[in-house]
Amino acid sequence: LTARALAAAKPYRFSRELSPHALGVAMNIPTLVTLALVIAYPIYYAAYLSFHKVSLAELRRGIFPFVGLANYTRIFNDSLFLLALKNTLIFTAFSVTLELVLAIAIALLIDQTSVWTGRITKFLILVPYAVPPIAGGLIWSFIYSFEYGFLNRILFTTGLSATAVNWTGHPATALFAVAVPYIWRTLPFAILLVHAALQGINQELYEAASVDGAGAMQRFWHITLPLLRPIIVVILVLRTSFAFAVFDEVLAITQGGPGDATWVAAWYSYKRGFSPPFDIGVGAASAYVLALIVGMFAIAYVGLIYRRIR
Amino acid sequence: MNDEPAAARRLGRRDFLMATAGASLLGAGEVRAQQPGPWAIAPKSKVDTVNFVVWTYGDIYTKISAKFQADWGVPVQSTISSFNDHPAKLMTMYAGSETIDVSQSSPFSFPNFISQGLVEPLDDLPGAKDYLADFTGSCKQVAVYDGKLMGLPYFSTVWVWNYYTDLMEKAKFEPFTTYDELLEQLRKAKKDKIADYPIFWVAGVGLEQLPGTWYQMTWNRGGVFFDKDGNHQLGPGSIARETLKWWIQTFKEELADPESLKAQFTASAKAFGAGKNVYRGPNHHYGLNVANDPAQSPNAGKIKVLGSPGDGKTIGDTHVYFLCTANRDKEWAWKLLQYLGGKTKDGQYTQAIALARDAMLGSGYNSVMNSAAVTEGWKPWGDPVEILKIWDKATYVAEVVPSIYKPWHFPWSDRINIEVSKALTGQTTADACCDTLIAAIKEVQKG
Repeated sequence: LTARALAAAKPYRFSRELSPHALGVAMNIPTLVTLALVIAYPIYYAAYLSFHKVSLAELRRGIFPFVGLANYTRIFNDSLFLLALKNTLIFTAFSVTLELVLAIAIALLIDQTSVWTGRITKFLILVPYAVPPIAGGLIWSFIYSFEYGFLNRILFTTGLSATAVNWTGHPATALFAVAVPYIWRTLPFAILLVHAALQGINQELYEAASVDGAGAMQRFWHITLPLLRPIIVVILVLRTSFAFAVFDEVLAITQGGPGDATWVAAWYSYKRGFSPPFDIGVGAASAYVLALIVGMFAIAYVGLIYRRIR
Repeated sequence: MNDEPAAARRLGRRDFLMATAGASLLGAGEVRAQQPGPWAIAPKSKVDTVNFVVWTYGDIYTKISAKFQADWGVPVQSTISSFNDHPAKLMTMYAGSETIDVSQSSPFSFPNFISQGLVEPLDDLPGAKDYLADFTGSCKQVAVYDGKLMGLPYFSTVWVWNYYTDLMEKAKFEPFTTYDELLEQLRKAKKDKIADYPIFWVAGVGLEQLPGTWYQMTWNRGGVFFDKDGNHQLGPGSIARETLKWWIQTFKEELADPESLKAQFTASAKAFGAGKNVYRGPNHHYGLNVANDPAQSPNAGKIKVLGSPGDGKTIGDTHVYFLCTANRDKEWAWKLLQYLGGKTKDGQYTQAIALARDAMLGSGYNSVMNSAAVTEGWKPWGDPVEILKIWDKATYVAEVVPSIYKPWHFPWSDRINIEVSKALTGQTTADACCDTLIAAIKEVQKG
């Protein structure tokens, strides 16, 4: 009786029901408004600033003279900006590649349920992610210290190096000395993503492959890696974006030095915008160029990898 | 500093000491106000609070804020950041239309702050002329801009050399008197394994650290960076260029401690206090209060001060407090400014005297420089007589680098830091470095 009654009863409806399309739009409005306020407006405002002369006095008065492309012309004529872009590209290529390889390797290791230490490792791996970037940078500064650092001490006592290496003070090593703490800090995030993706792979695929005589490497190349591609795209897009904007480690460890060896794009924008003579328009222009480059990389990654999947 | 004949200055100090000796009969070794001045008069307006934006230095601001509140019943709010973060902090507060009564500046960024409209002239404020009359030459050169009084002094300093007595004795060295002799001593100290790196330079990135070392040695050798007409003096064969070549040599031969390239003043004083280097390159005189402080240095008392080679010419500068145009009430802001950089209600230079006694800082006021706060107050860390002799041979750094008076000096200074660091680390040569800096002058002037 109850079932019949339920089936006969009309479902409750609002007097004026929204169409699925309208409902979808309505449900998205709060998100759109929030995104517009916290993301789109700053992006628009940064673009606006990049076409105007903006320094301290203009900010105070709230009047920004229009300068057209002058700020962009200035940065593209500035050898330091071009060098900062080059350093950023090297930094990004090195850190993202290494991070991706390490993330997959470590995620595969901690995915081994037969190894009981995996549980502890899963927890410990998250620790660097919880360390504030500046604090992490300072810790690594001590590790790198020429005279008193742990790194030189370890290399010396293990016989790997007879003399101390000036990791952050030598132009050949400084950029990589900044990249390592950056990778250390951001790697857990990538590991988590890969680890989560691994949980979604059907174990029967591996079992079937094993039955067909596939070895571990074959299973990795033909099952794991192809199925990880979507998450690899996500990691590439996210990590490339963040690596392009690296700042904290540079601030805490080298401050752009020695010389201009670790001047990266975000450091350039900061120095132009936030130290006298406070050329915020120039800083905004350089940040915008950086954002465009990151955007192009993101589109390229998505296009390239999804085309392969199809 | 070197703004008047040395003999006259020495006489002035002696005269003043005699005068203060008389004052000490009243139980004071320092300058005391004889009659109530404008600093003792309460402003007519009323405010709930006043504020300042400064960079950190010990607990001096806690003490002076408490004194201000005790004297005037007005609480003081402070925004304190690190020295390097201060310009950005001040800028964001100013641009964000926040109220700022008083702030401070290094002499290197002061012209830029003035050109940005942050700084209120002080000439017409009560007591301002009295302060100006007591300014040292160096202080006047910083605080008076385009003929207007724009600030009151925070502290003054001169660049001195240091040496570590234990290693000097071990090496059987006498303090060097020429740059050639210094180089020979450094080579010998390295060869004899007296020290792995016999000299520690203050060569960290900054407005006056790495650039200051270059400025000082160039000036001491008789050079400048710009002539009176504003023409650069960095071309081939210039003293600045030759000085840089000499300096690079100390890194090339691994005589210079590699940590020098990261060292700011205090960090270098601490590092030198560890006793691993024979000499410490030109640096602010008050670093001795770190290197010779038993609480901070294992070799306290063994770090000595040394003048520069030749005629001993050196550089000095004065940092200033200023009244910000974004103040809430000019009278009260002036009152607060005086507590930081002038006299307190009792007519004393309370802050300047405390800074001299507690931190070995010099003052922008002649009366403080000639008082027991300096002649006695500095004794725990160094020999005041020796330091004051060096003081007499100091010239304000902007005489050596007149671009300091220009708003574009700051971005040019950025280039100096980059290019000279590259030269010192072997990424480029002294010639290429100077050529790049010459080209950068036009570039930053356009900005």
